[in-house]
Amino acid sequence: MTKSLELDPKGKIKVRYFRRRNRLKDKAGAGQSREPGKFAVVVLEESEAELAKFAEDYPDWVQGQVRELYDLVEKSWYKEENRRSTEFKRINEIAHDMRGQGGTFGYPLVTTVAGSLYTFTGSRSSVRDSHVEIVKSHIDTINVVIKKRGEGDGGILGRELLTALKKAIKKFS
Amino acid sequence: MDYDLGLFTVLVADDNAYMRSLLKSLMHVVGVGTVIAVADGSEAIETLKKVGQDPLKGGINTIDIILANWQMSPVDGLRLLRWVRCHKESPDIFLPFVMVTGFADMAHVGEARDHGVSEMLGKPYSIQSLTQRLGELIERPRQYVLTPAYFGPDRRRRKSESQLADRRQVKPEEVEVIYDDEIT
Repeated sequence: MTKSLELDPKGKIKVRYFRRRNRLKDKAGAGQSREPGKFAVVVLEESEAELAKFAEDYPDWVQGQVRELYDLVEKSWYKEENRRSTEFKRINEIAHDMRGQGGTFGYPLVTTVAGSLYTFTGSRSSVRDSHVEIVKSHIDTINVVIKKRGEGDGGILGRELLTALKKAIKKFS
Repeated sequence: MDYDLGLFTVLVADDNAYMRSLLKSLMHVVGVGTVIAVADGSEAIETLKKVGQDPLKGGINTIDIILANWQMSPVDGLRLLRWVRCHKESPDIFLPFVMVTGFADMAHVGEARDHGVSEMLGKPYSIQSLTQRLGELIERPRQYVLTPAYFGPDRRRRKSESQLADRRQVKPEEVEVIYDDEIT
């Protein structure tokens, strides 16, 4: 294997292409057929049902992450402005995580708000009290969406929450 | 024809327990015979090393696909990908690798592509997007390319030869094609 992966810098060959047999297609039972294979309809239906099961439990499971976010905000309050970066880095990681989860489990509003939180906490050398307030407003919004089971765009509640969040950001900015 | 993935072994790496559990379950539901779920890139590397050194002892004969989250600690998906493609202990440098990620911007996509990713699965994801990526791996595996600066699946795809012709910087005599039985 290693020999094939060595290019002699002085040699005439500048590019090597590896064209291999399609092993996955063989293994999937489709052989080298030109006809594309597919996932059976029943498999797709069962997968959707499995995802729905996980979505049902998601509001309970995600409470752990919401609690961690509140704890990080609490810790931030007790620190000086230039010593809050550890907490904000972790908040940023959790926000990134939640941004991906929300929409997967039918809570795109969580994805929207977590995405905003992720951007806001992205790169700050100094974290003022007002920044902590804005972070807390984001977490409060996510918490309400989850507790009220605000699936989809959250309807009227979702719009009200986003408006309130925007007001909070403006107030503390 | 419907896929039968009963002989497949998929390695899932995600440090988020809930998302890891979801992916593991979904792999089973789509029919994957063996699913190994690990909590981050370093555990994935240990698993891959076992496969490379002694498959029987490791209890896994081969791994067919890796599904790895990008953001993991301490070893993230990108470092895992680099290890698979470049490390001498990698059991299969051609291993199909799906990066699961919330990073959807072009810079991140480009970074993963330049490290040799096979497919990107953006989060949030759906059953449709997940099965589409698996289908791409099965139906349209790309040739691998080795240049002085890159090794991985061909980064040009779904483009006609005429579109590509103008961008090629090497002459035909500077290109070598290697088939399965010629890999040494």
